[in-house]
Amino acid sequence: MPPLSIGLLGAGGIARAHLPGWLALGATVSVYTQDGSAEKLAAEYAGRGHAVTAVPTLADLLDRCRAVDICTPTPTHGELALAAIAAGRHVVCEKPLALTVREAEEVAAAAAAAGVHLHPAHVVRYFPAYATLRAAVAHGDLGRLAVLRFTRGSARPQWAPWFGDPAQSGGVLLDLMVHDIDIARWVAGEVVRVHALTRGAERATGTPAEVVAATAVLTHASGAITHVSGLWGLPDQPFRTTFRVAGSDGLLHHDSAAVPGFRITAQGVRAPNEGIPSTPMTESPYLTQLREFAASWDDPGLVPRVGAADGVAAVRVACAAIESSRTGRAVDLPAEQKESAC
Amino acid sequence: MLKVAVLSFAHVHAAAYLRLLRAMPGVEVLGSDPDTGSAAPGEVRGAALAASLGVPYADTYDEAFAWGPDAVLVCSENARHRPLVERAAAQGVDVLCEKPLATTVADGEAMVAACRAAGVRLAVAHPVRFSPAYAAVKRAVAAGDTGRVLTVSGANNGHLPTRARRWFADRELAGGGALMDHTVHIADLVDDLFGARPLEVYAQTNNLLYEGETDVETSGLVTVAYDNGTVVTIDCSWSHPRSHHSWGGLEMTVVGEHATLEMDAFDQKVHGYSERDARGVELPFGVNLDERMLHAFLHGPAPDGPTVPDGESALRTLRIVTASYTSAHTGMPVPISH
Repeated sequence: MPPLSIGLLGAGGIARAHLPGWLALGATVSVYTQDGSAEKLAAEYAGRGHAVTAVPTLADLLDRCRAVDICTPTPTHGELALAAIAAGRHVVCEKPLALTVREAEEVAAAAAAAGVHLHPAHVVRYFPAYATLRAAVAHGDLGRLAVLRFTRGSARPQWAPWFGDPAQSGGVLLDLMVHDIDIARWVAGEVVRVHALTRGAERATGTPAEVVAATAVLTHASGAITHVSGLWGLPDQPFRTTFRVAGSDGLLHHDSAAVPGFRITAQGVRAPNEGIPSTPMTESPYLTQLREFAASWDDPGLVPRVGAADGVAAVRVACAAIESSRTGRAVDLPAEQKESAC
Repeated sequence: MLKVAVLSFAHVHAAAYLRLLRAMPGVEVLGSDPDTGSAAPGEVRGAALAASLGVPYADTYDEAFAWGPDAVLVCSENARHRPLVERAAAQGVDVLCEKPLATTVADGEAMVAACRAAGVRLAVAHPVRFSPAYAAVKRAVAAGDTGRVLTVSGANNGHLPTRARRWFADRELAGGGALMDHTVHIADLVDDLFGARPLEVYAQTNNLLYEGETDVETSGLVTVAYDNGTVVTIDCSWSHPRSHHSWGGLEMTVVGEHATLEMDAFDQKVHGYSERDARGVELPFGVNLDERMLHAFLHGPAPDGPTVPDGESALRTLRIVTASYTSAHTGMPVPISH
């Protein structure tokens, strides 16, 4: 296997979740950002003896890497992905793949034409509870799926202002709920109709306690129906996800808050909520994800559980949800778009 | 003595009401269940059910009304509520009617009008209003602790109720399936919580659960937008496994600008596992919601306590349900008429 050299774009929260995963895989990592944060991140890791180097330009980063990991704000995903693809690099791209269906499709088409891998980082597929759900459903344990519910809530992201601007993040529907939209597709198949409503402060102005909640009902081609609920909540809203999936032969449910495996019940001071979820009882799902992506680069037989088409489809469904929440209408998804990579 | 007649034992709740009324001081109870045609073989109805509960029985509704009840409980099949309610109104007797009020808005309107014209009280059996968990939610919302409420996500999931009473999945008698059976409880709580007007509903249903057994919908997701800005979603599915040791439950999450609340109306239970029966067990220790509801109906609400919803409010929730069927059929959001 060729040496694993990764170009990490971005040095924010999700870059910090991916970087230890790459290092655990033995990668050398170049980091590039436009605001000097790459130098800080690289220095922090280099100081601990890791092969992490900040580079001054995107061209330098592309020169030095085999694959690019895009962990930047959503509006920059498309342009950076196209640049990496043009340089013949594989691309790992944080979700959502793009802000619009057109841009997501453009990136996917460019990757296919260039013969490089494009991996939308829908990491929830690597969270063990969700992977277990999918395996049970795929095994037929629940019979035919009928009705699914997914919830996902966290404190409103305050660490980067672009999250608060729907024009940059896509808001709670595209940034947060795209996770469960992807899982709903993965578990119950293609989505043919979407209805969604959003309430609260869609645009965050910086004052604390700006809550935004959205709700979406997805109708799958199979006839199954899914409720997805997303919340960017109050500052003390713990990160929490739940699912409840019912089929003709049974029911599976999970609450991340109910089964932590481990928890601190007192520590003298109130701890801040985590922004990026962890699962302390298992390997980091970020590592599992990156290992699976990297393994596919050298063995065409190893196909990751999430593909470029899934990233495009998740954006398509989330964008339909946004359209529905703006127009008040249910949005039918065109039949020719229903093919799935999963 | 307060004389209370339970008319029809078609609804599964009839037996519970008979038991509770029998035990209530100052109450004399009589049951009558002459129309048992909808019962499947093995369903215990009529004189046999009354005898098993030690409750006096009348062979006909004529006889039951001749007994001179002060109030009646109507527990017939959903589509058969109207004639019994109209008869009670004609006799000047207060009525507690099982939910949903009726299967059509026209029937519901006629029942409300008949009771209003006769000056009798029409109450509709929504026991979850008497849940202490719901009361805590209502206090928090009323006190302004939640601030403006953005969304309410509710789930009222149960098992397919046909094992106890076959007619629950009969399109004519029940008016539909899970959507008719389970939307109204949470819709009623929301009606009580905000007093807001529902503007529009979107619903999707399927019958992928128990597909071979029934042609009515067994799964449903209902989204309602209200004029106060709140969006409410209700999972009304019969998606609780039939072989599970519990019947299901009712949960709600209320997301406000200043607080997020969660309630579970029925999880005041000790959970465990029985080695003897090789199944999970649940030992409820919460208050009996039916008992509180019956007490409020017969003796009036406790100070600051909940009231049994009236016919008008049940008609409002029924309009949500009938619009939901239209939406599920067309795949589009449907405005709610008033």
